[in-house]
Amino acid sequence: MEAEKRKAITNVEDLAKALSRLKEAQKIFSTFSQEQVDKIFFAAASAANKARIPLAKLAVEETKMGVVEDKVIKNNYASEHIYNAYRDTKTCGIISEDQAFGHKIIAEPVGVVAAVIPTTNPTSTAIFKCLISLKTRNAIIISPHPRAKECTIEAARIVAEAAIAAGAPEGIIDWIDIPSLELTNMVMKESDIILATGGPGMVKSAYSSGKPALGVGAGNTPAIIDKSANIELAVNSVIHSKTFDNGMICASEQAVIVAKEIYNEVKTEFAKRGCYFLQDKEIDKVRKTIIINGALNAKIVGQSAATIAEIADVKVPQGTKILIGEVQSVELSEEFAHEKLSPVLAMYKADDIEDAFAKAEALIADGGYGHTSAIYLNELTEKATLREFEQRMKTCRILVNTPSSHGGIGDLYNFKLTPSLTLGCGSWGGNSVSENVGVKHLLNIKTVAERRENMLWFRIPSKIYIKKGCLPVALRELKEEENKKRVFIVTDEFLYKNGFTDAIEKQLDEMGINHQTFFNVQPDPTLASVYEGTAQMNQFQPDTIIAIGGGSAMDAAKIMWVLYEHPDVDFKDMAMRFIDIRKRVYKFPKMGQKAYFVAIPTTAGTGSEVTPFSVITDEKTQIKYPIADYELLPQMAIIDVDYHMTAPKSVTAASGIDVVTHCMEALVAMLATDYTDGIALHALKNTFKYLPRCYDDGTNDVEAREKMANAACMAGMAFGNAFLGICHSLAHKLGAYHHLPHGVANALLLEQVIRFNASEQPVKMGTFSQYQYPNALQKYAEVADYLGLGGKNDEEKLENLIAEFKKLRKHIEIKDSIKEYGVDEEVFLSTLDEMVENAFDDQCTGANPRYPLMSEIKQIYLNAYYGESTFAEPDMPNESQLKKKNRSKKA
Amino acid sequence: MKFKNLIAERKNKKIYEADGKVYKTFDKSFSKADILNEALNTARVEEETELDIAKIVGVEMNETDSVIIMNYIEGDNLQDLMDANPDKEDEYLEFFVDLQISVHAQKAPMLNKLKDKMHRKISETDLDATTRYDLHTRLESMPKHDKVCHGDFNPSNIIVAKDDTPYILDWSHVTRGNASADVARTYLLFKLKAQDELAEKYLNLFCKKTDTAKQYVQLWMPIVAASQSVKGNEEEREFLLSWVEVVDYQ
Repeated sequence: MEAEKRKAITNVEDLAKALSRLKEAQKIFSTFSQEQVDKIFFAAASAANKARIPLAKLAVEETKMGVVEDKVIKNNYASEHIYNAYRDTKTCGIISEDQAFGHKIIAEPVGVVAAVIPTTNPTSTAIFKCLISLKTRNAIIISPHPRAKECTIEAARIVAEAAIAAGAPEGIIDWIDIPSLELTNMVMKESDIILATGGPGMVKSAYSSGKPALGVGAGNTPAIIDKSANIELAVNSVIHSKTFDNGMICASEQAVIVAKEIYNEVKTEFAKRGCYFLQDKEIDKVRKTIIINGALNAKIVGQSAATIAEIADVKVPQGTKILIGEVQSVELSEEFAHEKLSPVLAMYKADDIEDAFAKAEALIADGGYGHTSAIYLNELTEKATLREFEQRMKTCRILVNTPSSHGGIGDLYNFKLTPSLTLGCGSWGGNSVSENVGVKHLLNIKTVAERRENMLWFRIPSKIYIKKGCLPVALRELKEEENKKRVFIVTDEFLYKNGFTDAIEKQLDEMGINHQTFFNVQPDPTLASVYEGTAQMNQFQPDTIIAIGGGSAMDAAKIMWVLYEHPDVDFKDMAMRFIDIRKRVYKFPKMGQKAYFVAIPTTAGTGSEVTPFSVITDEKTQIKYPIADYELLPQMAIIDVDYHMTAPKSVTAASGIDVVTHCMEALVAMLATDYTDGIALHALKNTFKYLPRCYDDGTNDVEAREKMANAACMAGMAFGNAFLGICHSLAHKLGAYHHLPHGVANALLLEQVIRFNASEQPVKMGTFSQYQYPNALQKYAEVADYLGLGGKNDEEKLENLIAEFKKLRKHIEIKDSIKEYGVDEEVFLSTLDEMVENAFDDQCTGANPRYPLMSEIKQIYLNAYYGESTFAEPDMPNESQLKKKNRSKKA
Repeated sequence: MKFKNLIAERKNKKIYEADGKVYKTFDKSFSKADILNEALNTARVEEETELDIAKIVGVEMNETDSVIIMNYIEGDNLQDLMDANPDKEDEYLEFFVDLQISVHAQKAPMLNKLKDKMHRKISETDLDATTRYDLHTRLESMPKHDKVCHGDFNPSNIIVAKDDTPYILDWSHVTRGNASADVARTYLLFKLKAQDELAEKYLNLFCKKTDTAKQYVQLWMPIVAASQSVKGNEEEREFLLSWVEVVDYQ
């Protein structure tokens, strides 16, 4: 019925009309459901399969090439195996969905497929391309080869009629009736994708048409027969494959390369099974017949061995299966080294497996780059040989103990290679695909990605013991629960000499635990002192490390712990900057295999007892290595205020103000969670309340000291999970360049940073899925509320918060500007640009809610130096512009 | 037109010399357009390239025949030299190949395109549609260049003047395009004269001197053979067709 309506396409005008019909049909087809498509796919495959014999006969009759019975197999294969491979494949709409990740894969058709069909497989390739187009809701227009147009068109017509009868839109499959280069080029230019199977000229045209093309290349398949091969299997596989459709499958063997040890046996087997070995002059006659000026003689393609022999004037028995030429050269000047598309085979003798590989590589280079190679060997005993073959052959299909014609097209002698009649040859063959072409190549895949937030965490030491006088009690666990025997104590000289470790040692002695103490930790601990401690540790071989002191002792002990457990680590690797701690390039080594880690702070500031951080300085280069990983979390932290009471005023002030900064930064950091917020708010409130008391009367005010010890530890928990921000980035560099105590540096910068972060119009906001919009101002206002500072709106609350902070700073006698600390203006300005760049690149910058420009960092530094309060933002439009517009409209 | 001193005779063409001029006369089987085209091509090569050629000095046409008048070049025909000195064959061949390479080094943007001409010639053949389709496809896929291709480059079209300057004659087939097509053509001309050994030597020498893959030149052979078959005689036809009937892998 469809055929009657259809008008033959013989010229450009017909084709233009046909293309618009195809586009219309495809538009309708693109709305079909998977169910409708599968019904059509089934009907089309069935119809093609039923016509396998008439189509095979027609093909041989028209092209005068090949073998009817083999073409029946090809037609059968193209319908049955293709159907079977894709019967359950989802090709319409949503083909996969992951709700948890908000990820959807949607298959859409490409549009109109231009299909160029070769003369060698004129019906089976047509069936194949029509079926995969139908399965993917594409329209297809076929450009047959003039030598095979009748049979190609008939195959397309049968598939089309069955598809339309099963519900496909009219005109979904069409073809050129009188092929010409002009029409073929037009089809390629006007289609959406090209499936080009054919000669290199056609494939080149397809690639130069400007449309995406799936073109495939030439084969020149070598088959190595290794001395370990099963000779009968090998020889008869080659014969089976080479005679299949008179050698017209492009994956077919063109040469066998036989190990010299079994050469005669192989030769006898070929002879015994009906192959003819060409004698001296006959070889030359066949040479001149098969190749003319380096090109394949059209007259021999797909002909029987006897017919080719006759053309070459060589007498062979009528039933001869293959003409074999025993040749030596693998150069192109040897005609037998070419692809022959006929039952003519080259046979080479290989001195050894290396020689065989070299010959196979040369033959592939002659004209089969990217296509197919084959080897026969004992798969079990010759694994190494196979491995080398796999590595060396530049072919996209590597077949083992398999007839290559049947093996290459897939699903007959192997069951995971995609069944296909269009075999990609990769970039080696100048193709865009290296696999067997299938439905996936005719789909546009859409990926729908919904916004999802990162998984966050709250990680702290598993044991945190708190209370005045708890230290000896907590240490009992080392014996009672952990059964530890050797403890290594790390502290600084001052604490050691002043008896801070006595109680620990006493407790350990009582429990009969061996111990040793290292007390040469400097402030801003250096690698040198760490190495010294590690050496002592290696001698002592502890199963527990106790770090007691301020941040320096704890940081140094953490690094000694790493070096004790993993002596080969590189600090540069460990300190590598990262965006997301979970995706960092460096995999931190597993800690805790050799020693248990206990941290006991003696100041209320760093929080190192519960954080995954440590900073270590290479004293030779003055490079600071900030190391961060949850592997560095101590396993036990002991907060015992008895060890805090004697901290001097300056230390109390600097470390106390550090706690404020930790809380402030963790609260607005992009990784902040409800968990860290709650902890940080409370720690901040207590710091505001108790830090002045600690400063005023630290040696006597146990309550205030204990509140501050807890606040510091809680702040550590908050920033150990939410991380910090640019106040720390800038303070790190300010401290390093101008030798200000860390806490003081923070105190000088915090106001500036709060103002900077609080902008509702940041030039750039931070990049993190959780961070939806600039919200720092709101966060600061919440802090002010929690502290009960009052304020009518967020801006006022912010000012009250800053005022409260400045009040505290003043109380603990920290000055208002960097300048007041005696940093020379000239020196400061001369180091400024370098400090800016280093601060920008500091690990803490990444968590800041506002992504800083370097020029902005510079301004913050300058403001902090001179004690200015205003952070100047660039002029930007805001919501007031809308009111203005309305007004002008009215006017 | 009547001239006395006949110096060469081709099918439908006679070439005379008189008063330091060459008179190339065409009988009326030639269209005026063809003759003017030859003159135009020659003038373009003369004006756009640095090659030494016989310069056009006039074109005349009347009822019976037409004539292109050119300067006469005094010297020896390379073909005659090669025939007379078989021992110097290698030397002459090298000279010949170098000369052809120097032609290919020229650019003449106004010349017709080789590829267009080949497509037209393929369409004019009486080959069957399938073969023409394959040839068109093959031609279309060949790289597009714009080198000056003489189109009939063979020793008989070269005059070596007294001072050893070679002058190239007969620019009627000149186009701009892929030099390998021109080489395939010269190779074919040797083969048609049954100079098989010389043909191979020539091709190898050209490929060696220009670092061209032989297969690349060979790709053109079916195309030049097909175009040659348009004007070829019966004996040549079978030979040419054997060159034409080849296939690309599929």
